[in-house]
Amino acid sequence: MIVCVAVVGHQNNPLYIQSFTDADDALKLHHIVHCSLDVIEERVNNPKKSGTTLNEAFLGLLYPTVYYKVYGYLTNTKVKFILVTTDLDVRDTDVRTFFRKFHAAYVDAVSNPFHVPGKKITSRTFAQTVSNIVGSYGLN
Amino acid sequence: MEEYPEELRTPPVSLVALFGYSELHTSITKHLHSQQPPVNALAFPDLSHISLLLAHDDQINRTSSVRDPLSVSDSSSPIPSRCGGILKRDWLLKHRTKVPAIVAAFFPSHHIFGDPTQWLQVCSDLDNLKSAIRPKNIKLVVIVVQSSPQEEISEDRLVALRKRAELDSKYVLFFNSSIESELTLSLSRIASAFAELALAYYREEGKRIKSRVEKRSSNSLDLNVRYCFKVAVYAEFRRDWGEALKFYEDAYHSLHEMIGTSTRLPAIQRLVEIKTIAEQLHFKISTLLLHGGKFIEAVTWFRQHKASYEKVVGSTEFIFLHWEWMSRQFLVFAELLETSSATVQSFSSLNQGTAEISLTEFEFYPAYYYQLAAHYLKDKKSALELLLSMSETAREIDSSSESITPSVYIGQFAQLLEKGEAFTLHSITDEEYTRYTISEAKRFQDSFEIIAWLKRSYESFTNLKAQRMAALCAFEVAREYYGLADPNNAKLFFDIAANLYRQEGWVTLLWEVLGYLRECSRNLGALKDFVELSLEMVALPVTSHEDSGNLENKSYGPGGPATILGRESIHREVFTLVCRKAELISSTEESGFKIAHDSPLNLEIDLVSPLRPVLLASVAFHEQMIKPHALCSITLSLLSHLPLPVEIDYLEVQFNQSTCNFVIRNSQRPLWASASNTVQSGSQVENEPSLVLVPNNWLRLTYAIKSEQSGKLECLSVLAKFGPLFTICSRAESPAAMEDLPVWKHENRVESLSTKDPVLAVFGQKATQVEEPEPQVDVSLGTSGPALVGENFTMPVTVTSKGHAVYSGELKINLVDVGGGGLFSPREAEPFSLESHHVEICGIDDGAEGTDESESETGNIKKIQQSFGLVSVPDLKEGESWSCKLEIKWHRPKPVMLFVSLGYLPHCSEANAQKVHIHKSLQIEGKMPLLVSNRFMLPYRRDHLLLNRIKPAPDSEDMSSLPLNEKSLLVVSAKNCTEIALKLVSMCVEFDDEQGEASCLIQQVGGCGDTPGSANLAPGEEFKKVFTVIPTMKTPKLGLGSVHLKWRRQGGNTTEACVSTKHKLPEVNVEASPLVMSLNCPPYAILGEPFTYAVNICNQTQLLQEAKFALADAQSFVLSGSHSNTVSVLPKSEHVLSYKLVPLTCGQQQLPKITLTSVRYSAEFQPSVVASSVFVFPSAPQADKANCATKQ
Repeated sequence: MIVCVAVVGHQNNPLYIQSFTDADDALKLHHIVHCSLDVIEERVNNPKKSGTTLNEAFLGLLYPTVYYKVYGYLTNTKVKFILVTTDLDVRDTDVRTFFRKFHAAYVDAVSNPFHVPGKKITSRTFAQTVSNIVGSYGLN
Repeated sequence: MEEYPEELRTPPVSLVALFGYSELHTSITKHLHSQQPPVNALAFPDLSHISLLLAHDDQINRTSSVRDPLSVSDSSSPIPSRCGGILKRDWLLKHRTKVPAIVAAFFPSHHIFGDPTQWLQVCSDLDNLKSAIRPKNIKLVVIVVQSSPQEEISEDRLVALRKRAELDSKYVLFFNSSIESELTLSLSRIASAFAELALAYYREEGKRIKSRVEKRSSNSLDLNVRYCFKVAVYAEFRRDWGEALKFYEDAYHSLHEMIGTSTRLPAIQRLVEIKTIAEQLHFKISTLLLHGGKFIEAVTWFRQHKASYEKVVGSTEFIFLHWEWMSRQFLVFAELLETSSATVQSFSSLNQGTAEISLTEFEFYPAYYYQLAAHYLKDKKSALELLLSMSETAREIDSSSESITPSVYIGQFAQLLEKGEAFTLHSITDEEYTRYTISEAKRFQDSFEIIAWLKRSYESFTNLKAQRMAALCAFEVAREYYGLADPNNAKLFFDIAANLYRQEGWVTLLWEVLGYLRECSRNLGALKDFVELSLEMVALPVTSHEDSGNLENKSYGPGGPATILGRESIHREVFTLVCRKAELISSTEESGFKIAHDSPLNLEIDLVSPLRPVLLASVAFHEQMIKPHALCSITLSLLSHLPLPVEIDYLEVQFNQSTCNFVIRNSQRPLWASASNTVQSGSQVENEPSLVLVPNNWLRLTYAIKSEQSGKLECLSVLAKFGPLFTICSRAESPAAMEDLPVWKHENRVESLSTKDPVLAVFGQKATQVEEPEPQVDVSLGTSGPALVGENFTMPVTVTSKGHAVYSGELKINLVDVGGGGLFSPREAEPFSLESHHVEICGIDDGAEGTDESESETGNIKKIQQSFGLVSVPDLKEGESWSCKLEIKWHRPKPVMLFVSLGYLPHCSEANAQKVHIHKSLQIEGKMPLLVSNRFMLPYRRDHLLLNRIKPAPDSEDMSSLPLNEKSLLVVSAKNCTEIALKLVSMCVEFDDEQGEASCLIQQVGGCGDTPGSANLAPGEEFKKVFTVIPTMKTPKLGLGSVHLKWRRQGGNTTEACVSTKHKLPEVNVEASPLVMSLNCPPYAILGEPFTYAVNICNQTQLLQEAKFALADAQSFVLSGSHSNTVSVLPKSEHVLSYKLVPLTCGQQQLPKITLTSVRYSAEFQPSVVASSVFVFPSAPQADKANCATKQ
């Protein structure tokens, strides 16, 4: 189950962060998302070491925490998407599909002429789309 | 890692027992230690000790041999399955320190080869030894110690010895310590035999156990685990790491199968035993993998280990045991990783080749494991706390009542009971066990361990530049300290985290940290910190309305959830704290602070302060330049991101010119008596009906202020006072240069401009320039046309007062080169060479008419340098004027900019009055007045053969040549190239030195100087003067001196001195001509009348000169005489060629052209065209002869 998704701007500032749990662990998830930026930074700065190809936006598993797994995705504009899931057995393709849909939703949201680039995303439509994507994650 | 026994942590080393000849033992032991792999040795002085060594072992052996390892260990226990265990605690230690692989017996050689009684003794000793070691398969080596190499050896005895010992010949060794070379040889022989036998021993033992594993002799998993473990250990003894790893893994997997199947022990203890053994096996496996450099495998293994056991919680009531165990796994792995990564530096080879499980970077960092170890320990701590708080009994447990110790099996505990003299171990129930563990757990302060690990993790992450992970660790450390009521340390680490969150704008995280920090400062009693932190929290862009969950929820810090409600409540709290009325001060102890009546609280907000959102002050002057004493509008805009409106009692605006400071008073508030100390009494006070800062709305206030002082006027800060004791001083910012608030800039909100005027909001500045008072003095530069090079050009400067009196005036004069280049500005270092300045100021005639010299000497400044001048202006009253003349001299033609600036004080009385400045500038062209040129003319119709002219020397291209001792003419012309008329006073040629006079004679043609050559030259007019030159010395370079011109401007006053200009004449080449050809012909001819045309060839040398001549026919003449021939001219004589010519045409006619070629010099020369022409009249002219003569 996806417990949290986040959009992080290129100054590593949160643009959108939404948790999908009933429990009050939003803060913990914020910490996890924030820490995962370190991994993204390292992976982007040392592409050789981590072995990932930079041609790909999908960054793969960033790091496992005690209860969660964190996946990352880096757009061409250096905006980061972060996904936190509780699933222990995660199929890469599921995550890729998720990020692709999420990216499309993000592009739609920031293409809004009233959206100022670099500001937080407050669009309700975007939030709705994201929760739909999160709901449909792993179903197929 | 330290809690594991030594034998588990280090790789096992083969053990050897040495008997007899104790004096040799040290050297042998030392040698064995230095071997690779090393061998440990037990040393006993004689063979009787064998029973001592093996007796203990025998005992153990016996007890273990009597029973099936799993069935009975304690005869008092009625149920066999409840006894025994998987691994004996001391098994490993025993094999490392007690049970040798080899027994080496030392016998002196004379005992063997000497006396038969001694030989018999040896035999019986050997028999004893063999019987002792055989059941354990221990290998035997017999070492015969020789006293000298030459000792006699009986072959029969040796064979008998081998037979008796049942040994191969290579295990009966001779040891000779008498000679050094023999000693080392013997030692190495012994070492290699030992190594070989030890290998054999451990291999056999391993094989023996392995066969049991393979046979699956018992279905019991316990035994399987034990056997696998033993095989692995024996493999380790042999340094067969691969096999060791394989069997450790087998043991591990078998053990894992036991979970849920084993029923031997009570449930909790059963699991504890399995987990303890699993932990040790895991430790062994990880160590082997890491030491083998297999990082990826090790990490993958750890991950599997964690995955397979993290759900094996056991009793949920005593879950703290599980958390503790988990925490230990992470800690141990972290330590292992840390020690191995110290040896293997680079992870560069760590590609994620293992496709199925992708490992992440962090899983290779010990810091990650430390952090998780701390996390689990924290879980343990809280679980234990929960347990203690829930059950009464648990709280009462203390360790003294119990006597529970670890039992003989790993992972098991037993009760030590005293029965008379003897102590016996009894197995315990789960209840007893948990009581014991709780009492043990209570003894430990987990927080310190958590802090230590987290700190290690923090440092490690910091070194790895994973700053966010580090910040999280710091936050966790701080939280632990906070839990330990150590606010000082907590604050230190909270600050680290807060800085990063602030920087990156993670508001919810920042809110959390600030909430803790706020409580820390409350506990520390630091009011200012408390207020600052509260205000920072309040001004965070927290916009969430939902109040998810109740405030008691443990997942939030003391700041509560980040909601608008939370902000508002903190806002109210802090403002009631700082703004309360004086009489209420005593009753504020519930907030935890005591504020003295007279201690005001001032907060400073600068441009980098996190408190900027609390009060943002933008100040804009409406004009960039203002006149002194004139009113100027200034707009003060205040913005606050506090959630609730706040009312300001008064505002104070501070400028760099403190006289401009002013106060804005809220008229609804009472006047505070001691308002301010920075505002002078009598300064401007404005009243506003209300000063309320509404959240996210600019409070715009526009006032007019007046500055007396010229220069920069800048608003420095805005001080807002809330209540009697609380002030916030915010640095003023220009709207043009205002940066976004770091935490607010990503918020999606309506942004309004700080001023109503959008232009001002974009370009407004907090500083303005106050102009100087308008100068009421005129400075005029009288110009008189272009300047001429060489003259002293005078430039009148007039200072006229038109309303201002002039006091302590100073006139600065600056010459600046327009084109750039040659002229120097006064700031540069001035080389004091006059030549380098093409234009210079020669003097300033300051209008004192030069007569009053005393004045200029006494006080007035007068400094003149080449391009800079300073002169003081005398005090002038209104309407008066003063003038001076600048004298500027040009050395080269050059345009120059003249800057004149006058600084003066309009009033003499004011000490600090500012000077008024007037600047004037004028461009002046410097021009060359006269262009001097010269020309040489040789004597008419006399042509000299000048060899230099025919073959010019390479360096004298344009140099004219003059014949020696001949009179040549020099024509000097001076052309006026200015636009004004000049008067040329005189022109003469003067030699530069004595030598020139001696070598040349120059005379003015037409009388010597009675007409001085003075002439008026209109613009463009040219003046010529002719000189004769007779060179008297043969020289390739003859200086002819220079032309001296004296001139002045025409029409000016004649008293003005003449300007003299020099023009250097070019050098000439003087040479003696060997041949001179002169043409003789009448000055004119008459049509049809014949005349004589003679060509004289004069040889001026001492040699015979042969000359070829050729005469070309001319159309206009009929000619008689030879056309061409070669003549010989005798030295110092002349040859005349004479022709008769009859002119046929009238007018200027070209005479037949003669070409002379000197054979000696191979030089050809011709007379010039002008010289060889004659005018032919149609008939004889009617003129007197005298006129004709002058014409010629």
